[in-house]
Amino acid sequence: MKEKLEQIKIAALREIESAVSTAQLNDIRVKYLGKSGEISLIMRDMANVPKEDRPAMGKLVNELRAAVEGALTEKTERLAFAEKQARLKEETLDITLPSGERGLGSLHPLTLVRRELIDIFSVMGFKVAEGPEIESDLYNFQLLNIPKDHPSRDMQDTFYVNENFVLRTQTSAMQARIMTTTQPPIRVVIPGKVYRSDDDASHSPIFNQFEGLAVDKHITMGDLQGCLTTFAKKIFSADTEVRLRPSYFPFTEPSVEVDVTCSMCHGEGCRVCKGTGWVEILGAGIVNPAVLDMCGIDSKTYSGFAFGFGIDRIAMIKYGIPNIKLLYENDMRFLAQFN
Amino acid sequence: MLAPISWLKDYVDINVSPETLAQKLVAIGFEVEQIIYQSKRVDGVKVGRIEHVEKHPNADRLRVTKINIGDRVLQVVTNVPVEGGETIAVAVDGARLADGHEIRRGELRGVLSEGMLCGLEEVGLTANDADGQKAGDILRFTPSTPLGTDALEALGYDDVILDVAVTANRPDCNSIYKLAKEVAVALGVRAREPHIAPEVEALSASKKGVVKVDVRNFELCPRYMAAGVKNVRICPSDELVKRRLRAVGIRPINSIVDITNYVLTEIGQPMHAFDRRDIQGDEIVVRNARDGEHIVTLDGKEHVLKEDMLVICDEARPLALAGIMGGLNSGVKQDTDAIIFEAAKFARDNVRRTSRALNQRSDSSARFEKGIDFASQELGLKRALTLVLEGGYGEMLGGVIDVHTEYQKERELPFEIRKLEDILGCEVPKNALVGILERLGIKVEEADGCLIAHVGEDREDIASVNDIAEEFIRVYGYEHIRPTLFEYASLTEGGVPKEIKAVDRIKDALVACGLREAVTYSFTSPAFADKLALSEDDERRNAVRLLNPIGEALSVMRTNLTHSMLETLSYNATHFVSHAELFEVARVYLPKSLPLTELPVEKEKIAIGMYGEYDFFKLKGVVENLLDAMNVADAEFVRSKEPFLHPGRGADLYIGGKKAGYLGEVHPDVAKAYGVDNFRVYVAELFADALTDPETRKTASFAPFTRFPVVERDLAVVVDEDVLANDILKAAAKADAENLSGYRVFDTYRSEQIGKGKKSVALRFYFANLDRTLTDGEVNAAMDKILASLESGVGAKIR
Repeated sequence: MKEKLEQIKIAALREIESAVSTAQLNDIRVKYLGKSGEISLIMRDMANVPKEDRPAMGKLVNELRAAVEGALTEKTERLAFAEKQARLKEETLDITLPSGERGLGSLHPLTLVRRELIDIFSVMGFKVAEGPEIESDLYNFQLLNIPKDHPSRDMQDTFYVNENFVLRTQTSAMQARIMTTTQPPIRVVIPGKVYRSDDDASHSPIFNQFEGLAVDKHITMGDLQGCLTTFAKKIFSADTEVRLRPSYFPFTEPSVEVDVTCSMCHGEGCRVCKGTGWVEILGAGIVNPAVLDMCGIDSKTYSGFAFGFGIDRIAMIKYGIPNIKLLYENDMRFLAQFN
Repeated sequence: MLAPISWLKDYVDINVSPETLAQKLVAIGFEVEQIIYQSKRVDGVKVGRIEHVEKHPNADRLRVTKINIGDRVLQVVTNVPVEGGETIAVAVDGARLADGHEIRRGELRGVLSEGMLCGLEEVGLTANDADGQKAGDILRFTPSTPLGTDALEALGYDDVILDVAVTANRPDCNSIYKLAKEVAVALGVRAREPHIAPEVEALSASKKGVVKVDVRNFELCPRYMAAGVKNVRICPSDELVKRRLRAVGIRPINSIVDITNYVLTEIGQPMHAFDRRDIQGDEIVVRNARDGEHIVTLDGKEHVLKEDMLVICDEARPLALAGIMGGLNSGVKQDTDAIIFEAAKFARDNVRRTSRALNQRSDSSARFEKGIDFASQELGLKRALTLVLEGGYGEMLGGVIDVHTEYQKERELPFEIRKLEDILGCEVPKNALVGILERLGIKVEEADGCLIAHVGEDREDIASVNDIAEEFIRVYGYEHIRPTLFEYASLTEGGVPKEIKAVDRIKDALVACGLREAVTYSFTSPAFADKLALSEDDERRNAVRLLNPIGEALSVMRTNLTHSMLETLSYNATHFVSHAELFEVARVYLPKSLPLTELPVEKEKIAIGMYGEYDFFKLKGVVENLLDAMNVADAEFVRSKEPFLHPGRGADLYIGGKKAGYLGEVHPDVAKAYGVDNFRVYVAELFADALTDPETRKTASFAPFTRFPVVERDLAVVVDEDVLANDILKAAAKADAENLSGYRVFDTYRSEQIGKGKKSVALRFYFANLDRTLTDGEVNAAMDKILASLESGVGAKIR
């Protein structure tokens, strides 16, 4: 009996030792430890062992069982580990292959710039408003100090629907709407489409403007400059400088053109700024008191500033887009470049 | 405004380079768009003298010449029959001609040629631009011309011209004289006044001279001045006048016409000269035209006039369209002996309206449309008379006539320095202010702690203290302003209204679905309606039309976005782009009535367009994702009747029972009309506000979910082919089965076995209870109920 136990042990341990898979080990487990496995059978045979030998034999069988179980477990763990390693190795992927799952779309560059502008001005206390694109002559011109047949109408080539309605030539039209319906303090920006009958290599008959208006007590040209400097530094770069030049718009007085240092060459002079180091980006000024009065705001108490610029132009400068027409062509190969 | 620097120098000393001058003008508000160096139209074309000519050894018609250009002698081969001793123009090695052509030395039939003889064309001129030169011939100069001089300079094209953008508030600066005054301010020097001959200066004006002037509409003609000239000599003007007129783009004609143009440019006052012989009677009448009255203008065009137009007449007929152009019946001719100069102020708006109505423009009308002040008539007329007398082109006839309304020569404008500082946000030193205003010709006096500006009639633009602020700061310099950020203003709250936020969210959702945003034009061709096969009574045909579109293709405001989207897809498909997935959020313009009497409704819409590896369900998926992103509840897809969609593959989207848009495959005929026939095209268009209506949006709120196992049961039923999945689901819902937590269609199957006109639809049902695990019996009972409902609702048979 003892020898038999010893033989089983040797055989079992040898088989365990030579096993190469967890599946084989399972078979071995069944063969020795299963319900009708060799060790189990011996346990059953214990009945034939003399009573006095039973404790010693029992101990031996238990030891055998423990030894085989121990070897099995240890070998199983080892093999399972090796097998897992092998499987993981086998599962190695070329992680530089494309996913084929890439499919995010993109916003139009005009939207990207518009959102950035709205963020910049929201923080400075400006609310966002939009207005009608088909606009009455009253708001687009007359309330902005541009009477009918006035030469300053020549500054803009207007699309007319009829004598009283136009496609708004400027987001300033919404300025008049806001001032006629709201009392100061007013601080609002107005992004939107505007229309000019100007269609050549460098003009689009539709483009997008961004208008700003602040009306309150004690609004000065200094506030205008501070506000525009903040904007220019944020939209272009922190080292951007702003320069005001006298100009003329019927609805502002004094009126200025605003130049910023060229974001391409940082003021050194390049092709974009035609060697001047400055790029003209917007028109602005102190709201003409006549406009305030026409819109029902007392110009003796209140003053304001207004500015307006082309979102298209900012987008072109920012992204280096060479031609405004590209913005409205919607070629997938163009649109895919912005995100 | 073209301003030759040499002409400006008549009025102000300029001792800086043109570039510096331009910068200084820009700084005070006069943008210089271009600095034109007349002589730089070509480069390297020199005056040379032919020293020697001999026959070309290898070509009968060619000559070999030696040309002295001052610092060296060139050998030039030419076919021009020139002779020794002639002074001509030669383009040297490296020269650039007016057409951009470059000249290089080279061999001509084996002989070295170091240049080319040049004519008018090569230097970019015509016979009109240079006296004594012939078209088609080479340029020839007098022997005294210095050799080596630039040929254009030798022809008098040696000026530097500033192209100045004069803003609409300064019409007076559309003149050399007034611009020179601004130059003086920019340079900090004094300007000179126009030269008026003493005998002209001495003249006093009256209402009658060689003729009587009768102004019958002072509103349209506030001032009319005239003066006669006799013994007129019609001849070419002198060189200086011709050169200056050419420099500003005016063709010299004769002594008198040139003087009118010269004064227009120099003083800014449009002038006209009538032939005295053609004025019938002794009276010039300024009056409104009679309806239907005719005039033939100097350029031979006939106009039929209306009552609101102003004409200059004699006792019988119109002689000129006021401020626009003289009549052919009374212009200056070669044998004119006596003339009457007109220098008038016509109302800006009326000239503009008449000129537009008759489509008749001139330098004069362009100038009047900008606005002319009261001071210019007298100055212009006197300057013209001076030029006549000093040029020997005639003698005074009967003195100066002046008829005008009452007008204010000077206005007083009181203001406080403190107010200027309030506007500008910088300190305004009184001395600097007074000094600058005086330099601008605005006298300032102090009274009761307040300043009073005396503004002349030539500065109609200065009307308020803001204008004074601008005049001051543009000279003082904007660099004095200190940037502040609402130092003394109230705190305001910024931000984006919810409609704009919603659009942002819509766009972000569509980007997440893989779509790229497009931006297309808001106006389009009226052909859109037929291209989309819209029925005759479709409301979308009612589009707002522009009066003056760029072209028919951009003439109506769009009533839908689908058309633009299809054009954009077509653009990409025909530009070798294999697939496209696009969206646009933009407005459509829906008139309440046509023609427009009130603002149309402008509604934001969403367009989606795709072609490539797509089908209807890819598009529907995008729309469903969008609905989910916007938390839209209660959306339903119903078969669409839109004429431009595939009849079996189009859906209308209803949200809360209202039509919110449509989606589907584009009808092949329509796709073809847009030029796409190699792809299936998918398009959707939705109202943005339908997705943002709070009534049909669900807000997130917690609902308990079961912790017990969910039971799934599948069921395949056979139904008629035209039964929609939606109908089956509705029938299933009607069963009101207990513990049913969800259900969906997961497969559709057709086969011969099932039979023609039938299909098998596979459904999956989910059962769950919050408090316990369900028993088989409970679920079976529920499934029986559902099956019964499917049988009665859509005639479903279990498979």
